[in-house]
Amino acid sequence: MGLWESFLNWLRSLFFKQEMELSLIGLQNAGKTSLVNVIATGGYTEDMIPTVGFNMRKVSKGNVTIKLWDLGGQPRFRSMWERYCRGVSAIVYVVDAADRDTIPISKSELHDLLGKPSLNGIPLLVLGNKIDKENALSMQALSEQMDLARLAERDSREVCCYTISCKNSTNINDVINWLIKHSKTKS
Amino acid sequence: MAQLQPVGKKDDDREDDSEYSPFYGIEKGAVLQEARVFNDPQLDARRCAQVITKLLYLLNQGETFTKTEATEVFFAVTKLFQSKDIGLRRMVYLIIKEISPSADEVIIVTSSLMKDMNSKTDLYRANAIRVLCRITDGGLLGQIERYLKQAVVDKNPVVSSAALVSGFHLLQSNPDIVKRWSNEVQEAVQSKASLVQFHALALLHQIRQNDRLAVSKLVTSLTRGTVRSPLAQCLLIRYTSQVIEESSANPQSGDRPFYDYLEGCLRHKAEMVIFEAARAITELSGVTSRELTPAITVLQLFLSSSKPVMRFAAVRTLNKVAMTHPPAVMNCNIDMESLISDQNRSIATLAITTLLKTGNESSVDRLMKQITNFMLDIADEFKIVVVEAIRSLCLKFPQKYRILMNFLSNILREEGGFEYKKAIVESILILIREIPEAKESGLSHLCEFIEDCEFTYLSTQILHLLGNEGPRTADPSKYIRYIYNRVVLENATVRASAVSALAKFGAAVESLQPRILVLIRRCLYDNDDEVRDRATLYLNYLNGGGNEAHSKTFLFTSLDVPLVNLESSLLSYDASERRFDMSAVPREMKHQPMLEKKTPASKKAAKEAGQKAFANGHLTSSASDAYEKLLNSFPEFSGFGKLFKSSPLVELTEAETEYSVNAVKHIYPQYVVLQFNCTNTIKEQLLDDVSVVVDTSEAEDFIQVASRKLSSMPYGAPGQAFVAFQKTEGRLCVGKFSNILKFRVKEVDPNTGDCDDEGYEDEYQLEELEVTAADYVLKTVVTNFRGAWDAINAENEMVDEYGIGVRESLQEAVQAVITILGMQPCEGTESVSSNARSHTCLLAGQFIGGAQVLVRLQFGIDAQKQVAMKLTVRSDDPEVCAQIHEIIGSA
Repeated sequence: MGLWESFLNWLRSLFFKQEMELSLIGLQNAGKTSLVNVIATGGYTEDMIPTVGFNMRKVSKGNVTIKLWDLGGQPRFRSMWERYCRGVSAIVYVVDAADRDTIPISKSELHDLLGKPSLNGIPLLVLGNKIDKENALSMQALSEQMDLARLAERDSREVCCYTISCKNSTNINDVINWLIKHSKTKS
Repeated sequence: MAQLQPVGKKDDDREDDSEYSPFYGIEKGAVLQEARVFNDPQLDARRCAQVITKLLYLLNQGETFTKTEATEVFFAVTKLFQSKDIGLRRMVYLIIKEISPSADEVIIVTSSLMKDMNSKTDLYRANAIRVLCRITDGGLLGQIERYLKQAVVDKNPVVSSAALVSGFHLLQSNPDIVKRWSNEVQEAVQSKASLVQFHALALLHQIRQNDRLAVSKLVTSLTRGTVRSPLAQCLLIRYTSQVIEESSANPQSGDRPFYDYLEGCLRHKAEMVIFEAARAITELSGVTSRELTPAITVLQLFLSSSKPVMRFAAVRTLNKVAMTHPPAVMNCNIDMESLISDQNRSIATLAITTLLKTGNESSVDRLMKQITNFMLDIADEFKIVVVEAIRSLCLKFPQKYRILMNFLSNILREEGGFEYKKAIVESILILIREIPEAKESGLSHLCEFIEDCEFTYLSTQILHLLGNEGPRTADPSKYIRYIYNRVVLENATVRASAVSALAKFGAAVESLQPRILVLIRRCLYDNDDEVRDRATLYLNYLNGGGNEAHSKTFLFTSLDVPLVNLESSLLSYDASERRFDMSAVPREMKHQPMLEKKTPASKKAAKEAGQKAFANGHLTSSASDAYEKLLNSFPEFSGFGKLFKSSPLVELTEAETEYSVNAVKHIYPQYVVLQFNCTNTIKEQLLDDVSVVVDTSEAEDFIQVASRKLSSMPYGAPGQAFVAFQKTEGRLCVGKFSNILKFRVKEVDPNTGDCDDEGYEDEYQLEELEVTAADYVLKTVVTNFRGAWDAINAENEMVDEYGIGVRESLQEAVQAVITILGMQPCEGTESVSSNARSHTCLLAGQFIGGAQVLVRLQFGIDAQKQVAMKLTVRSDDPEVCAQIHEIIGSA
């Protein structure tokens, strides 16, 4: 990115508000709604009720307006994820990194979903949540167990992985930066 | 009632200046394409709202969406939750609510709605509640219940109303949850917002509706005056009348509860409350004229209201009152007459029919003139109402039959649909049957009608009547031409009936026979099989049959087996074996439409029908014929002679008991047959050997001579058991029978239909059945009471005076005496004009044995409401006069 180009981007950002649309999915109790709250307000609460269906949130970060489709993770809603992932700027997949038993299910759900042709080429961000817990997987281990390399290779899509903690706001800024960056490349 | 619909003429007017909807003619496919805008990344709220409007328009026009289409639309719509546009959000709620039944997975919006339900925007809160309750299931309801409960007592009336109405819907699917809201709902009843109060009261009642005591408490506390909203007040009035209805088991015990409240509502400032209260009062069971007066007064004021709806409401209510209490409505006659020329035809029709019911003989001519002008302008359904009113008027004032018959024949000639013509023809048929003087003119009107009648059904009915009645008139030959014209001009069905009618003339009138034979012979060349068959058959009977009596019975009596049974026997008959045997057809009726009683509702209807027929002065002849045929088919009863009278149904069990039994009393000259119609309402039981054991210890004049068991009574199929008694001769036998239903119970598995073989004996106590003097009197219509009175030898007159004691009103006393005697009131004398101190009532009847009885009752009432009566009886048989006095004396 040349100097000239970044200057142009800066100029453009003065006049145009940028918008992006995200789908937030993952198994139940992975921390999707918490993540939305952390991104939007920075607040965190322990007791959350399960999302029945979806929640729509708009969040402004800098000059980017992010539309977040926060979808329920219970089995009955998983078939509907695809409908809300079509045409978004990025798919954010949240995994409970401390719950090792559900990782295989989480993996197969993700692989099934991304196999759908309508979602070709949409960037994927996988987040291993709850690293504040003791037995949480490392980023490396998570990436391996989720077999992210295969996803990147098979569909030739951009795949990225972070480990975060909504509770302690660990790595949240990295996530936001990644997102903003992708809004720019998209527009 | 149909009167609520606008009259046809008005519709035409409206059509001319109506504007078409801007969406008229849009296509589903195109709109579904347009719905793709919901998926645009940059939403155009205005355009989206418009597309939703189109979708809603299509749904309301009855367009159906396939499951895929609906689901597709639904998910696209959910994307619109991102928009902050309030107007669009509102459309989103609406479309989700409409489309939710046909789309899959609507549950997905739950979370979004729950968020909106707690939003700061009142509009979001109210609408989200309504939608959420529509899409939610029992499991999720538990999660949102807390919010709903809160919403019930929300400050904002729109939100509170939404929650209450949702509660109403949820009560169907999840009653337990809604019942837990009682306290909140009760709080909402005290709300200042009138809509909230209305909805809350409705919900509270709905929650408690199955608990009589709770409803009664609710009404008691609210009638003390905390309800401000007129709508809620109307509801309260309805609930109150329900409570009155249920608590009025013993009406003699002082004042009616809550009547003061209803009367107070008549002075309310909202018209709807006044009307509701007035209507509630008029519909009270056994309402007295004193109770009626204030209600009638306010209704009378409404009659001259400037609002058509008030006039309509008032006249419709008065019309109903006029059926039961004509004198009470008479005060309104002047106001009602001005309504005859009302622009609104529904109002005018009701006004006329009411006047016909309340008017006296002298006003008949004037009214008829007004009606004639007015008949041209109204739709068929209203014409039918008028025709029915005229029919009952004619039965009330038989001596006016000429003018009324003329009117009927005039309208018969005019244009009209089948139902209308049928009503007219039926009215004429009834008049012919009831008023002998009207027969000749009625028949000739009908003859003229069939000359140009497009309805086969009516033609055949009239031809049948002509065949039966024509030969017995003074000049039978004049009908032949009309009938033969049918053979020449009409379709096969009518031709066949015409041949039958001709044959009847041939058989009954000796002098016409040769000519009739010529006519029937011509029919042998008809191109229709049925017509030729009939002609051949009748020729055979009339010509060579020889046995005149036999041919007459063949022609004039109908088949003595039920048609249903005949049909099923014919269906199972194998033509190759042997000749079909008529006598093998079962005569026992499987079920009679009159007595069919599968559900309590139809039972009630049947009972009402029975009572109505009875009130009209006779059981409809078809019913009594059916009874007679049924009884004669049993050898035990066939020797009892001619059936004199069959009573209406008397219920011997409470509604909704295990076994439902009602009884009919069949009176013969020397015998009484009790028919018990039993229905088994338990699916798991089959009853065998069903009989009714009758204890005659309180009916000593009766000796049991025969009984007939019902061999088997499966679930739901009514059956009949009979017990016959011989009466002690020379006495008017009355008494009470106590009855026990005995049977053998066999358990049945309702799924497989298997039943165990053993069973056990059981019995079931029925209520008592009473044979009263009224059972021995048949109502008869006398057209000219004075003439008939004078025709009976005055030596047979018996006069006596009786004190009847304290009565509420003269009307009540008159009604009581009529009921005791069971005779037909003549010339409309059964209704007493209000405030009258004295009244004369004329009754006619036929006493068992065939003697005609005429009764003149003269009543007087004094300031202490003591009623005295002078009873004058005339009959050809002095014995009967004495018996009538005995009936009154012992009552």
